[in-house]
Amino acid sequence: MRAIDHHAWTNRWRDRHPLEKLLPAFTLLLLTLFLPPLTTGPLVLIGMALATVWGAGVPVRAFVSVMTIPAAFLLAGAPFLAISVNFVDGFSVQLAPAGGWLALETTVRALAAVSCLAFLTLTTPLTDWAPLLRRLGTPASVVELMLLMYRLIFVFAERALTGQQAQAARLGYARFDRSLHSTGLLAGNLFQRALDRAQRLERGLAARGYTGELRVLTPERPLSWPHLATVMTLVGGIGLLGGLLREWL
Amino acid sequence: MTVPLLAVHELEYRYPGGVVALRDLHLQIRKGQKLAILGANGSGKTTLLLHLNGTFRPTHGEIRLDGQPVSYARQALNDWRRRVGLVLQEPDDQLFAATVEQDISFGPLNLGLSAAETRERVQEALEALRIAHLAQRATHTLSFGQKKRAAIAGIVAMRPEVLVLDEPTAGLDPHGVTHLLGVLRQLHEAGATLVFSTHDVELAYTWADEVAIFHEGAVRIQGETTAVLSNRELLHQARLRPPLLLEVAQVLGVDRESLPRTREALLEIATRYSLLANP
Repeated sequence: MRAIDHHAWTNRWRDRHPLEKLLPAFTLLLLTLFLPPLTTGPLVLIGMALATVWGAGVPVRAFVSVMTIPAAFLLAGAPFLAISVNFVDGFSVQLAPAGGWLALETTVRALAAVSCLAFLTLTTPLTDWAPLLRRLGTPASVVELMLLMYRLIFVFAERALTGQQAQAARLGYARFDRSLHSTGLLAGNLFQRALDRAQRLERGLAARGYTGELRVLTPERPLSWPHLATVMTLVGGIGLLGGLLREWL
Repeated sequence: MTVPLLAVHELEYRYPGGVVALRDLHLQIRKGQKLAILGANGSGKTTLLLHLNGTFRPTHGEIRLDGQPVSYARQALNDWRRRVGLVLQEPDDQLFAATVEQDISFGPLNLGLSAAETRERVQEALEALRIAHLAQRATHTLSFGQKKRAAIAGIVAMRPEVLVLDEPTAGLDPHGVTHLLGVLRQLHEAGATLVFSTHDVELAYTWADEVAIFHEGAVRIQGETTAVLSNRELLHQARLRPPLLLEVAQVLGVDRESLPRTREALLEIATRYSLLANP
């Protein structure tokens, strides 16, 4: 999580207007859903990988590691799409007609869709979505809560980590039963700290004139129409190619 | 004598459980001064500071702003907090926004300033704290010292008349301390009144023009730095020690007018004495 967050904050496209990233990624996502997956899918996957690595300058390793976990789930689940279970006379498992294709198409389509999300998470920090969410009419308190959680996750993750290290230093995790005990203590302690921190944060905010609304400046990010046009042309190209290739092959 | 900017009179504070944290406490903060509140850990310094901007309400006694007893009504409280800015000891208690720039913009926006004015204030605060290069950084990726500066910038951007800092140097390395003191000096020269709590007598001695010795929930004495910090017995009672700079100077027999207030000044005097002894 820390690695993803790090790249989201430091990549080359960090300061691009979020729409310049959301629109192409979302369009590609739709393309993978509606166009023939076997040709469009790989094109989208390659396109998003290139955009992330070559365009935004995120290391390949980061892109691969974000893709790994969903990919593992997909690959584990795919075989079950290819078989059919028959309960009519007893119980029998057999390869479903066209099951192989279905499994392949689903996997490719899902991988391509995941790559669109990977691109977004690796190039745009969560907080950049806040202005967009507000404009889309999300209640202000929901957006504020989201941003506060984002900020506090890191505070608590650090507490949890140091707490665990301190427990480990006193052999809190030396045996299985002690591990359970230590984890319980740590969770209880974090809960208490969360309450305490909430109270202190309220004082800190009150000192700065907090009256129930967490308003901050939104960074000015001019929307670059040429950039958006270029990207969308490429996206269109991918869509066209995906559709045409299917006809030719 | 002029009316102090902020005065604490006969203040008593009991925690909701009934434990008395502060009792019969008097304190005066005069415009343009640098006041250090000196006390051992756990003596109630933070509790006192939380009274100075109206976070806590005294169970007895009162606080006066410009000679007038303060009101805890919402509008009055907002106005009070605009004039008296409190920086908490733990920066994570104060920083809530994703980037440094956004966090600093919070206070000015609460003052009702426009986006353009807010941007100006943010820039000014970033420069005052010398952290302009951190403006777009994510708050959670900052070091402790950087967080501390960002937290102070968040208050400075509101241009308070009095800047109250709780243990501003705690947890900073020597370089961080020097940097922070430089920043505070500039703010003071620009007209801010500074109040800080500390248990570091050396810091109070080199920095403050007045100190208040805090012990067991009350201010034992408030007065001119050198005079108060020469009072060994009182310091001992408050579980503090006289500053080394002052003790060495007194052993050397330096007269009151030329007491050294910095390491460099003391070293210069020591060099002169050593030349006298070994010509």
